[in-house]
Amino acid sequence: MTTLTHEKTVAPGKSIIERLNVVTALVLGIVSAIVVWRLSLAFLPEDADTAKIFTREDKITLLSMCAWFVGFMTGIGALVGPFRWLMGKDLSHAENMFLAGKDMGPKRYFRYTTDHKVVGIQYLFITILIFFLGGGLAMLIRTNLGHAEGGWLHPQAYNDIVGTHGILMIVGTIIMVTGPFGNFIMPIMIGARDMAFPRLNALSFWLIVAAAIPLLWGQFLGGITTGWSAYNPLASQAPLGMDGYIMYICIFAISTMVAGSNITTTVVKMRAKGMTWNRTPIFIYGTVASVALALPAFPVFFLSQVLSAFDRALGTSFYNTAAGGSGWLYENLFWLMGHPEVYVILIPSIAALMEMAPVFTRRPLFSFNVAVMGIAGISGLSVLVWAHHMYISGWAPLLNAPFMLTTELISIPTGMLFLVLIGTLWRGRLWMTMPLMSILALLWNFMIGGVTGIYLSDVPADAFLHGSMYVTAHFHYTLMGAGLTGALASLVYWFPKMTGRMFDKTLSWIAFWLVQIGFNVAFIGMFMVGLAGQPRRVATYAPTFSTANLVTTIGAYTIMIGMLVLLHGVISSARNGVKAPKNPWQAKTLEWTVDYPIPLENFDVLPTVTSDAYGYGKAKS
Amino acid sequence: MTELMEPQTPQWWKKADVKKTFILWIICTAVIGYVGVEFHVRNIVAPASENMSSIISLIRIFTWAAAPVAGLVSAMSITVLTSGRHYGDNPPPEADHEIRNSPKTTAVWIVVSGLLCLFALVGGLVVLQHDNEAILDTKAVQVNVVAQQWVWNFDYPNGARSEDLYLPVNKPVVFHITSKDVKHSFWIVQMGIKMDANPGYTTETAVTPDKIGVFDIRCAELCGLLHAYMQTKVHVVSQADYDAWLTAQAAMEAGA
Repeated sequence: MTTLTHEKTVAPGKSIIERLNVVTALVLGIVSAIVVWRLSLAFLPEDADTAKIFTREDKITLLSMCAWFVGFMTGIGALVGPFRWLMGKDLSHAENMFLAGKDMGPKRYFRYTTDHKVVGIQYLFITILIFFLGGGLAMLIRTNLGHAEGGWLHPQAYNDIVGTHGILMIVGTIIMVTGPFGNFIMPIMIGARDMAFPRLNALSFWLIVAAAIPLLWGQFLGGITTGWSAYNPLASQAPLGMDGYIMYICIFAISTMVAGSNITTTVVKMRAKGMTWNRTPIFIYGTVASVALALPAFPVFFLSQVLSAFDRALGTSFYNTAAGGSGWLYENLFWLMGHPEVYVILIPSIAALMEMAPVFTRRPLFSFNVAVMGIAGISGLSVLVWAHHMYISGWAPLLNAPFMLTTELISIPTGMLFLVLIGTLWRGRLWMTMPLMSILALLWNFMIGGVTGIYLSDVPADAFLHGSMYVTAHFHYTLMGAGLTGALASLVYWFPKMTGRMFDKTLSWIAFWLVQIGFNVAFIGMFMVGLAGQPRRVATYAPTFSTANLVTTIGAYTIMIGMLVLLHGVISSARNGVKAPKNPWQAKTLEWTVDYPIPLENFDVLPTVTSDAYGYGKAKS
Repeated sequence: MTELMEPQTPQWWKKADVKKTFILWIICTAVIGYVGVEFHVRNIVAPASENMSSIISLIRIFTWAAAPVAGLVSAMSITVLTSGRHYGDNPPPEADHEIRNSPKTTAVWIVVSGLLCLFALVGGLVVLQHDNEAILDTKAVQVNVVAQQWVWNFDYPNGARSEDLYLPVNKPVVFHITSKDVKHSFWIVQMGIKMDANPGYTTETAVTPDKIGVFDIRCAELCGLLHAYMQTKVHVVSQADYDAWLTAQAAMEAGA
């Protein structure tokens, strides 16, 4: 410590790393964007009269956004390490300690900090932020649809809100479990000192922050009027806001790939001594399956958007059928990412609930092997089902039957997860807490989401249901009813480990019931209008759909109140909640063996594991 | 051996919680099946073609097939929730067993879900085959559908054109669908058919309307600003009315 202070006082010895934080990042990002914007305005040649009208503006927008991205990442300090390596050097020990946020206090949350616990909290913060932005937009959508003649939003604004709500929630749900809990809890759970690549960990988080600005920027350039799927050729005629979407996806895809390789490596290489695959907690399997699925999926997403940017800014024709491309190419690329992605969201949530099930029933997890098989089976099959989003696109009608087969096969591994959860509850001692009730809520919601999925997987029935509100209700049941339920339970369950205080019990119950009841009211109503023939993504509808739409809107407001109660719970419990003991749930995984505040590098002596974490219950004597 | 050592343990199907679950299972299956079917059948549009009728039958069959599984999960949930709840800040005592798996249960569960999966697949394939054959019908009425932002245009074989679709009742129709600008999706709601309109490609779908009346056509793929307003009507009329309309429309088209 003394040497560090000494170095600081010797001018100009203050390391570059110590000067960089989120403020320098913002400043450098904005300055670079403005400079590149002015330069490209001055030097980019005018479009030829024959060219598509937006081409030059697209180039300027994309270049400025790239400049923002490079400026921000430089300003936050992401390039210091790689630059040193290019020079044949590395960071000094003191600098590495600084990066890890040693003895820094709250400032470390605003820097390129590599400590996995800091990154976990940062992820938690940004997940909450994304949910409240996306949720706010959902409230605008539902208010607009509350009454048949009440379409007070301009259709362009409405389309933009639908698209922005979609992409925000997709990103929010992708990171909601693997971000906060995968980063904060997972390394401690496997008995590691940190992630395998701590700097990549910081990189993956700050990439998400860097991505946010282009999306916001796009809102002032006409917005994302194409829905989050951004189908071409609609996307190529969309306003400049589309470039914001393209940049957002590209940067987020890099973040996901970085986080995915990091988490996978950590779990494969850094588990504690004695933690064989048989003894590895099921939550770890879920996290790895999720990020491992993202590894092949997100490069495709990245590519689809790069080609989209080329079509818009350079006048290429990848997706333009008239000029030799194909709109179906985009759909294939998009859904090659899009279907694994729903399991990227779902698997860690279910795995987290599986982790909690033995704790709150005081008995062993039922059929650990079946749980692993289920997760593996879903992961394997999920890359083979993408074209069920294209049954009625006309792309390959002959492939509809094979894709119907693979899609319906997924119900078998999904059934295994149900078996594990219900089997663990069976003959357990139910400790009535919000996480336990979340398991039952997940079983209920995911059952509805799963059964409606069977109708949708059926090609003839899909000819009626596709593109209707029925689909919207179905995937909200899976991603929100199942996925978000697991994430909220994880928040309450791991809250004591992350903040040192218990989550307020009453508030967790109120939030739980408001969200679950509101959710079921909202989306049952949405199933009804779907069956009655209301298409998705419409700004207005026929008066016959009024009642059910009003029901959905009321349900949506109930969810909003529930989520606000939950937010209040997070803030008030983190500030003045009851101080948590080391192991409030009497759980057996390793994260409950460390004291709060958890020291840098987690363990003084690395633990040795001699059994799995599910040794609950006592044998009959 | 086990039975000799534990003579008091009754067979599994005689245990109280199993009996309770079994009764609840039957009740839950009946309730979920009935409510699930009624929910769909009452809310879904009235069918105006055989396609739509068979979609409703499929939903009915799949719901009843899924009901026992959903019923079992519900019944087990109710049983566990109504026996041995524990409240408080400290954990309950450990459960009185440490069962980690049950190979028989797992095997039965997987085999049953596999069979249900196969059942759903076969049911879907039978209807799908029927729908696919309809497209090849050369004696059917051939209508070209051209979508553009944000209207539908219909071209008939004799040169007639319209923005409202007219079809004869009980006669097969094949639609050849394309788009002038972006992707749209051609959905005749009450007839249960939908096919995307792709710029640069022509896609086909077929239907035989079996009810006289006026039904809805809506665009089912977000296609820009006025997507919500991109809808029109289909008038299903008798063959005589259809022929009269077609001649008049063609004459008007030729005159114009």
